[in-house]
Amino acid sequence: MSQSLLLPENHTGPLLRRRFLAVAAVLLLAGTYTVLVLTHPAGLTDGLGQTVALATFAAYLAAALMLLAAVLPDLPVATLSLIPVALALNIVLGQFVGSVFIPLYLDSLGTVLVGFLAGRRAGAATGVLGTLIWSLFNPTVLPFAAGAALVGFLAGTAARFGALRRPYLAPIAGLGAGVLVGVASAPVATFVFGGTSGVGTGAVVAAFRSMGDSLLSAVTKQALISDPGDKAIVFLLAALLIYALPARLNGGFAFVRRHRVLGSRGSR
Amino acid sequence: MHQLPRTGRLHPFTVLVLAAAVVAITTAAGRWWLHTAVLAGCLLLAARAKRAGKLVRLGAVILVPAWGSHLLIHGLIDTGGGHVLAAAGPLRITTEGLVTAGQLGLRTGVLVVAGLLCSMLIDRHDLVAAVDLSSAPPQAGYLLAATLSLLPRLAQRQRAIGQAQALRGIPLAAGPRGWWRSVRLRSVPLVLSSVQDAADRSAYLAARGFPAKGAHTRLREVPDSPAQCWVRRVALGAMVLGPVALLAPTWVGQG
Repeated sequence: MSQSLLLPENHTGPLLRRRFLAVAAVLLLAGTYTVLVLTHPAGLTDGLGQTVALATFAAYLAAALMLLAAVLPDLPVATLSLIPVALALNIVLGQFVGSVFIPLYLDSLGTVLVGFLAGRRAGAATGVLGTLIWSLFNPTVLPFAAGAALVGFLAGTAARFGALRRPYLAPIAGLGAGVLVGVASAPVATFVFGGTSGVGTGAVVAAFRSMGDSLLSAVTKQALISDPGDKAIVFLLAALLIYALPARLNGGFAFVRRHRVLGSRGSR
Repeated sequence: MHQLPRTGRLHPFTVLVLAAAVVAITTAAGRWWLHTAVLAGCLLLAARAKRAGKLVRLGAVILVPAWGSHLLIHGLIDTGGGHVLAAAGPLRITTEGLVTAGQLGLRTGVLVVAGLLCSMLIDRHDLVAAVDLSSAPPQAGYLLAATLSLLPRLAQRQRAIGQAQALRGIPLAAGPRGWWRSVRLRSVPLVLSSVQDAADRSAYLAARGFPAKGAHTRLREVPDSPAQCWVRRVALGAMVLGPVALLAPTWVGQG
């Protein structure tokens, strides 16, 4: 008989190990961020700068992989079959939006969709996996895997607490998520890459630097300008796409049913 | 006929671990000549696999904006350097700033070029098989394989949707309203059909007991050898110990 048709096995060992992994990942991420913000290393290319670059890269990537290892075995089949679609949508829609000269990324639309439909753990896993696969085409995104996980996690959290029950709540949740993601990802951009990866964003960072800001402060301010708007639009688009889905498809996800993610819309 | 790269007999993890070790050690060393040598070595390997042009093109797409950003942030507006070359208003070009921009550019260049070279040399089917055979959760192999096979199909479907909308004679207005209309007309059918496909697929996967537990036979064999296992272990050790050995003297100096 198929394994998935059986009742869940009551093995506490792997479950505890996965919870430990998730907690360790969050602590590693929070610890790295706190140390970087408190110590504020000045050099970028001296011995200390190289140490900080490697340590930040390793810590953020390790935390993302630990989160993935903690979450992946628990995901139901319905979610696992949705994740590849979301990852491909991130890339295909991201490329389409990029090709029409609109200064938005929208490359996390699939991640947010999964977070809305399948919950925060699935959203976080989609964020990490999406970054790992996208890194085959652009290796600079690799250390941002933890930030991508945070986008999916926050999308799931927002959906759980009713951000999809009213259309105007989704972009508000996106704004909040953008602030958190921007703040969390700024140390990677600062200490691993010495700034940003685009000329437009680089110009904004340079402008803040010329006003006397430190590099971390300038990159954080730039992220706070770019990310909230982008995430607000992504959350709104994802919410509108979910409203357009037939109720039988939305209702197929246990997360949507259990937490009444769509409110009265879900029962139509 | 598709020509296999000359690293076709290497295990995907061997290529990945070697690249990670090279990037880690090069970053830790922080010497311009080492960065340049690694970049030249990557180009040479790409040329041997007849992929040098593609590597340069893809690398340039990522690196040119990144280098532009480094130049703006460190090269043109440097607040710390003492050797001022030019200063006007907020612009302050110093030797130290330009050197920092150059070093950061080389560091990013090694990461990008080595990473792209890996993805060009590794056979994706081998990578999926290697992940599947490794101790990673079985879901990871499925997700990697499914995403890589879905990408071209979804891109094709998106083009077909665009052509269908054009055949319907829907005019696209300029500006934000036109952009929004275009996004809506393409993304709604794409997302609806993709989520429907995923829902259909999940029923079939569940019926077949996915994810499979225990050992299972794979038709595809991943090239590997005891020598490659040894190389991977050495490269892993070098990736961790190399930077520590290179950087430890600087920690002592600063302590």
